[in-house]
This record gives sequence, structure tokens and C-alpha cells, in this order.
Amino acid sequence: MSETLSPGPGESFLSALAVARDGGLSIDQAAAARNAPPINRFYLWLMLPAITVLAFITIYPFFWLIWMSLHKVDIGLADDTWNNFRNWTRLPGDSKFAQGWWLLAKYSAMCMFFEVLLGVTLAVILNRSRWEKVLVTIFLMPMMMAPVIAGLVWYYLFNSTFGWYHWLMQSVGLLGDRSILGDPSTAMIGIVIVDVWQWTPLIALIMLAGLKRVPRDQLEANMVDGAGDIRNFFQVTLPNTYPFLLIAILLRFMDNFRFIDAILVLTGGGPANSTKILPAYLFDVSFTFFKLGRGAAIALTLLAVTIILGMILVRVFESPKTGQVHDGGS
Amino acid sequence: MFRPPSRPHYQSISRRRFLQLGGGVATALGSGSVAVGLSSMIVSTRVQAQSSDDAKWKQYSGSKLVFMSENTPPSFAIRDNLQEFFDLTGIEVEILTDDLPVVQQKIGIDLRGGKADYQLNYVQDKPIGAPFADFYEDLTKYTQDDTLPQDIDGYEEGAWFDNFLAACGEYYEPGRIVAFPYDCAVACTFYRQDLFEQLSPDFEKEYGYRMEFDENTTWKQVQEFAAFFTALRSGGQKDIPYGYGQHHGNFAWTSHLDIQRMLFSHGQWTEFDIDDKLGSKSPGPTRWGDEQSVLIMEKFKEQADVSHPDNLANGTLQLNTAYAAGDIAMQVQYHEFAASVEDEQNSRAAGGRTAYAPCPKGEPSWVVGGGEAVNGCNCGIGGIGINSAASEDLRRAAYLFASWSVSKSTQLKVLKELGGTPTRPSVVADPEVSAARTRPTSMPNALTFDAVYDYGIKDPHFVLGPKIPEANEYHSIVLTELQRCVSGQTTPEEACNELKTQVDDLHDV
Repeated sequence: MSETLSPGPGESFLSALAVARDGGLSIDQAAAARNAPPINRFYLWLMLPAITVLAFITIYPFFWLIWMSLHKVDIGLADDTWNNFRNWTRLPGDSKFAQGWWLLAKYSAMCMFFEVLLGVTLAVILNRSRWEKVLVTIFLMPMMMAPVIAGLVWYYLFNSTFGWYHWLMQSVGLLGDRSILGDPSTAMIGIVIVDVWQWTPLIALIMLAGLKRVPRDQLEANMVDGAGDIRNFFQVTLPNTYPFLLIAILLRFMDNFRFIDAILVLTGGGPANSTKILPAYLFDVSFTFFKLGRGAAIALTLLAVTIILGMILVRVFESPKTGQVHDGGS
Repeated sequence: MFRPPSRPHYQSISRRRFLQLGGGVATALGSGSVAVGLSSMIVSTRVQAQSSDDAKWKQYSGSKLVFMSENTPPSFAIRDNLQEFFDLTGIEVEILTDDLPVVQQKIGIDLRGGKADYQLNYVQDKPIGAPFADFYEDLTKYTQDDTLPQDIDGYEEGAWFDNFLAACGEYYEPGRIVAFPYDCAVACTFYRQDLFEQLSPDFEKEYGYRMEFDENTTWKQVQEFAAFFTALRSGGQKDIPYGYGQHHGNFAWTSHLDIQRMLFSHGQWTEFDIDDKLGSKSPGPTRWGDEQSVLIMEKFKEQADVSHPDNLANGTLQLNTAYAAGDIAMQVQYHEFAASVEDEQNSRAAGGRTAYAPCPKGEPSWVVGGGEAVNGCNCGIGGIGINSAASEDLRRAAYLFASWSVSKSTQLKVLKELGGTPTRPSVVADPEVSAARTRPTSMPNALTFDAVYDYGIKDPHFVLGPKIPEANEYHSIVLTELQRCVSGQTTPEEACNELKTQVDDLHDV
């Protein structure tokens, strides 16, 4: 344990900071640290360019966003004016805002459910396959595609005039003459299919990495106790890969809150706003209607919810139970 | 273990040398950034009113301009002929093209940010012109400037087709012209003449009149034609197309235009009590929700019920694709699409199967709010405008390009090469173009000129507005409520009332 904020021999400055942050210093020690000679300024100078860049590209826009959310920032030449929290007070009465949240929750839940289910299954299959490397390469291909290109590809596949998937689904009686994207009751399923197609491989890839770390002795011990494949999966494999699964869920959850490329190409949020999830509505408000102040308020609510849900997931990830499992159940 | 080198490299470089190297790298990086970021450049030579035309054209030789435009045929054709402009002026022009919604977003950010990365803008009347009119230069001061070369056909209202200059150039205040008409998309009816002739006897047995299309064909008849075709198709005759297709998809503006035509046809109904051609920044309460609008919304829904089943997924482009694929018998479409419909390689509706007529006329019995029944026709007139945030010299150089791009000779070339849509009557009066208005033709768009230029764009059929700063949000509201009504989520009355509530809220009424 370091008693000052200066790094000791063979110890980095960051690790010293980490020790201090984790409560490694008593009150007396902290007081001593305050009175200690200034830390090596060399490190501060080294970090200064990075901090400056970070402040410029992240912190300044963040505060600017807050400022915009409190002003009328609109189309037209007029100066931005303070508008008495109007951007915020109108949000509760904005039916598209509420609907956007509901659709986002629905969209994220559906994507997450199918991607986790299929991703885990795929990872297990790949882990056992002797063609693993070839198959992983093939399965990863959708993920390599830009979301907007994926959207365009599926847009053509779903098209009722020349779309091959439309014809296929029609042939097996799943669809009538109306395309999956042309019906408010099925359009959401259409965009979920595209998301699942593109991002299930990411879950599979992360889970595959997790499966490689499952202790073989635990699996064998469990089998000696009479466990079959399924019981082995739930009793040993899944608990050991739990942290990996959480990372995958966290990544996908945050992506779902950001990615609208495919939705804009596929439906633009329609028909009848049935796929206008909140980020798509935010895009419209900010860059189609140019209500930048209102858009800033919506963006901040999205940011706040993302942070809160992200923190909850990280808390789950860092829980003692998770850590215990990660340590191999020791 | 780590062992420090006996003669580390950094010790071999002096502090002065280090600073020199750092300075050199910083200069190189800075210069590179400037070179990459520099999108426009201006070089000028002053000219006098008495100078030759050649000197006036060449006064900004060596300059560079950027034009952000929609991916329409004129922009492609002009891009292919930029050498001609360069030879004339010595100005290099970069033309960037994209889909209209993307163009609108990029231009909006540029203008709203007070920048002039794009000195020349494609000013599509309502999506771009109406919200951003204040950011554009008044072109009248350039048209009266005798140190700039001027077009022999002029720029006054008479130099363009009826209403075109007002449509894309004039916003909110008379006399201030912010864009010249650059291209146009005017609505007219495309219908399968071969099928109309073939099936007319059967139709007549059922409905008691012949199935023919002309300027007196009403919306009620169109609905009956559509119902007839769709019934055959639904009855198992897969070689018969569906009767009709509406513009929905995800491009709100064209969906608004779709119902606007029908509304205007019945008593020249418009959404606001404002000057339709000039527009207004404070339009006041909307007329949505009145008896006329509710009735037409009902008829629009009935029309949707006998249209292509994937109506809600078909935007303007997809609708035309379905028509060209032989899936639809009639569409009200923009005349620039005639070129693709007449393409025999890719269209089943080509080769004389398609005929063109004005937009359908209002059904007199459906006019409940007074006024006459007309052939409601609307359009998108794309103008070319100059960003007023650019420097004075850049704006003057941009004017040279704007003037050249809308000249008769350029429009004629575009029409011949890629199927453009002229905005000057002098182009259409050209003997070669006149001859192309009948089949066989080498300029398929010219087949629509009778329906469009000689009829649809003229008063009392022409409807333009509403020109309001909130046009894009207004279109979005209309699209959503139309789709909710057409898909059965709301009744026509509920849809109109919801429109009234949202549109009035939009304007703080």
C-alpha cells in the first residue's frame, strides 16, 4: 500500500491513484498526502494533451447540450433565447416522446432476448465444432457490415415488389401481399430481425471467449456426479460465463440506444410511427425539424437513462456473487 | 530486468533540434488539415460594366465552389458537363449529391451553423426553401448587377414556367428571390393505356361508362377504376395489376403532396388561410378538421383500400418501381419518372403501354365547403440558391454558376442527355423538344409535357403550399396521421381532429 499519491518503485501513478480511491488511505494518511510535496508534474504534463482533447470533444459539447436544452435553439436567424424550461416541460405531454420510450423498450427487449438466446446457442455449437474457425469467420460477416448497408440489404430483401425474403415468407404463408415493413403491426418485427441478424454474432463471439475459460475440471467433476450436457451447461458453463454474458448484454443494450441507421433506412420510423423508437424521434426533432433545443432535452433524458441502466448492469457485474462465479466458484 | 540504455536516443537530439522537428511536424500537420478542410477558394479580377462578357465570366477564374444538390438528373448531367463551365469561367465546381432528406440535413447544419461550406444549395421549395429562406442571398441584386454576365432569357417571372419562380424563389416577402428554378417534379397521372383499352368493355358492363382517362376524369372515377382492377387481381388474375398506389413510405413530404392534390381538387381547399404562393411565418389556425377535410380523408382511405396492398411501404420511388414492374395500373407520379417508366430494358410499362394525363379532377359531389372542382396539381420545384454566409466574392462567383446552370443551353443539354425537367419555356419551345412530345421519342419526359406544362402547373389547378418555416415537422405530422388512418388505427374524423390539434400546437395557436 502506498502512503502518498506518489508512485512507489515499480508502481504506476494510476495504480497509486487506484489505491487511494479504493480507501487505501486513512484520514491521517490522507492529510499527510495533502501536505506531501507536489506529485511529479511530469505525469500531469504528459496527460495534459489527452485531457485537453477529451475536454474539447466530450466535456464542452456536454455542457453545450445542457445549455441548448434550456434555450430555444431553432431554425431561423433569431438568436437563441432562454425559454423558461419549455423544452423540458413539454416532454411529459409529448405523446411521441412517451411512445418513443415505449417502442425503444420493446425493441431493446426483443433484440436482447433473441440475440442472447441465439448467441449463446451459437457459441455452444461453435465451441464444440471442429470447423470453429471457419464458422466463426462466416458468422461474423454480418457484424462487419455498416448498419446502414445492412439496412439497405434487408430493405431490398423485404420489398414486396422484388424482395426475395418477402416472396419466401409469402410462399410459406407467413405474409400476405403486404410486406413486413408495410404493416404497422409487423414493422417492428422486421427491424428486430435485421438487428438480430447483424448482432447475434457479437454475443456469440463474446460468449465463445467465455466458454474457452470454463474450467475443465469442474465440468468433469460434475459429469462424474452424473450430470448430463444440459445440467452441465446450467450448473457449470453458464455460471462461469455469466460475466461475459453481462458484458455482451451491456454492449448491445447501449448499442440499441444509439443505433438508428438501419431503422432510418428500413422504415424511417413508420408506418404510422410504429418503429419510431426514441433515438429515431430524437434524430427527427434535431436534424429534420431543426428544433435543436428540444432535441437536446430529449438527448439528455436518453443519456441519463442509459447511464442509470448501465450502472445497474455494472453493479450486477461487480456483485460478489458474480465475482465468486468468475473466480471459478471458489 | 529493465536496464537503461547506455546512450539513449533522446540524448543525441539537442533541445533546439527537437523544437525544430516538432515545429516542422506541426506545420506539416496544420497545412495538411487546411488543405483537406479547404473546400472553397476565391481568386478575383475586378471587371467594369463596360468589360466584355468573356471578362465578366472569367472574373473569378481560379476559384473553387461547392454545390450541395439532390441526386436528380440535372445535377448528374451538369456534373458530367462541368468542363464546359470551367472553360467558360475558369471556376472549378464540386457537385455533391445525395437523397433529399440527407441534403436537407447537411444544408440545414451548414446554414444554421453560420457556415458556408456549401456556397450553392439545392433549394427544394418546401423541405429546404421554406425553413431556411432567410439564410439565402437575394438574387435580384445580382440580376441587376452590370458587372456580372446575365442570361439572355432573363430571370423575371415570364422567363420560367407559370408559378415556378414563386414556388422555389419567393418566401414570405414579395420581391425577394432566393433561388432560380433549377429542376422540377410536377405531378401527373401515369396509367396503363393498354390495359384500360383491353378491359374497358368489362368495366363498362359493371359501371356503365367507358374506362378512359383525360383531364375530366374525377377522383371518384379513379377510385372506381382502381376498385375494378384490384377486384380482378384479388380474384386470382395475377397478370392484372392492382388499381392504384399512394405515396407513403418514409418520406413525409411526398405523402403530404399526395393528399394535398386530392384536397385542393375539391374546392381548392388549403390547410391555412394564407397566400399559397408566398407562404407565412405565422400561418394561424389550420383548417384540418373541417367538413371538407374529413370527407376527403374518408375518400383517401377508401382509395387506399383499393390500392396496392403494400401501400404503406411504398414511397415515391418504390411506388414507381411497382408501377414499372407491372404491379400497379395507375399512379399519380412526378413527371421526371417518365424516363424510367419508358426504359424498355427495365420497365414492363414501357413501349407505349403507358399514357400520361393531368392529375384527376375533383368530384363535384364531394365539394362540401364551396369552391370549384379542379385538377389539383402540385410539385417540387428545386431551385439553386446562394448561401448568404459566404464571402461577397464567393457569392458573386456562385451566381455565375447558378446563372449558367439554369440557362436554356444547359437545360436543353440535360434534357437530351439524362431526361431532365426544364424550367424555362424557351427549352420546351425548341423544335427538337416539341417533336419529342409524341412517340416515338428520344426524350421520354417530353411525353408528359402536355399534362404538366400545358395544364397542371397553370392556375386554377396549381397548389403549392403551405410554405411555412415548420414545413418538415408539419409534413411529418401529416404522414403519421395519414398512415394511422389508412391502416385503420383511427377514423378519418379522428385523424383530421388529431391533425388540427398537433398542427395548431406546432404554431402555438
